[in-house]
Amino acid sequence: MYPEVVAKIVNDYMERVRSQLRVVPARQQQEFLLEIQSHVYEAYQHMAGDDDVARILAVLRSLGEPAEVVSDRLPGAMVRSGAKRNLPLYIIAGIFIALFGIPLGFGGVGVLVGLLAAVAGILVAYFAVAGSFLLVGAIFTLLSFVRFALPDVWDKLLALGVLQISGPVADFLDQLTAPSQALLMFLIATVFAAGGLGLLWLGRYLLRGMRFLLSLTFDWTRRFAQTVRRKLRRDQREGLPVALPGPIRTPPQAF
Amino acid sequence: MQYSDECKDRRITQLRKGILELAVMGVLYHERHYGYSLVRVLTESASISLKEGTIYPILARLNADGLVRSEWVESDQGPPRKYYALTSSGKQLFDELSKEFQLLISLVQHKWAGREHPAHQGRKLAVRKG
Repeated sequence: MYPEVVAKIVNDYMERVRSQLRVVPARQQQEFLLEIQSHVYEAYQHMAGDDDVARILAVLRSLGEPAEVVSDRLPGAMVRSGAKRNLPLYIIAGIFIALFGIPLGFGGVGVLVGLLAAVAGILVAYFAVAGSFLLVGAIFTLLSFVRFALPDVWDKLLALGVLQISGPVADFLDQLTAPSQALLMFLIATVFAAGGLGLLWLGRYLLRGMRFLLSLTFDWTRRFAQTVRRKLRRDQREGLPVALPGPIRTPPQAF
Repeated sequence: MQYSDECKDRRITQLRKGILELAVMGVLYHERHYGYSLVRVLTESASISLKEGTIYPILARLNADGLVRSEWVESDQGPPRKYYALTSSGKQLFDELSKEFQLLISLVQHKWAGREHPAHQGRKLAVRKG
């Protein structure tokens, strides 16, 4: 299909594309690589010139850096921060990349796990507070109902010590009639329930923000890994007879 | 103060990026194409410099949204080609987007050239929230 030296350059480029597609399912990865191979072949056939190496380098330069070519096959934090995504998959992918993709060692993995744990802790604490508010609201609603509709049960609960009301609260309640006490408890229940529901509603934004932060961290890790890997590859390639001359530069006016 | 070339190039790039997807849909509206032939049509019909690899993310996005359908076709000259064509919903969306695009053009020209396009006066640009 290609002269030997050209095949080497194409293989090297395809390998770089493949490494960018590590988190993509195997079948999609194969299909995408085949499509890019097809493009490279067609472009090479149509590229004028006598020098095979110059022709293939021009084709690859025109195609762009592998990161640009696969950009939408990978998760991007900035562009899709508001979109629905599979969060656990992101976290697992991030940890896998941290473990196998970047030479950060256990220190880097520790930082990543620490960040994830901190974010998870904040989320759990927030929703625990929201849940507590709702629980208090439900308890006060129940008490309000018992006080209003089942005064005998109320008195029995007080006598058994299940309900313990003392101090200024007891003094204040003694001044009110039973229906007023029930109404007061119902109002308190409403405030807590509204607070709990409000917290749950705001939690959507908190989740979105946290997801954005996680994606940003993951994206940063991926970019850092790519930079390091590219540098390592460049160092390794210095000994080979033919290689792409570093990253393919993008002309400023190109897409 | 004069703007820098970099400043200008960055804005031109951003501007083209937004429109390229629409242009791709436009090319696939009447005729199916594979990646390379699509690039050729785009670069030959408009003399602009196009980073060829950027076509594939766009095609992937359109495919994921069901706006294009694709099929592999064997080629006598080398590896098989993946052809893309706009689906009926893709065509419908393209028609809608073209109208929006025309409105944007008229908006820019209004600002730029004063009241040269009285036909568009009174029409409002629909802006949708996130």
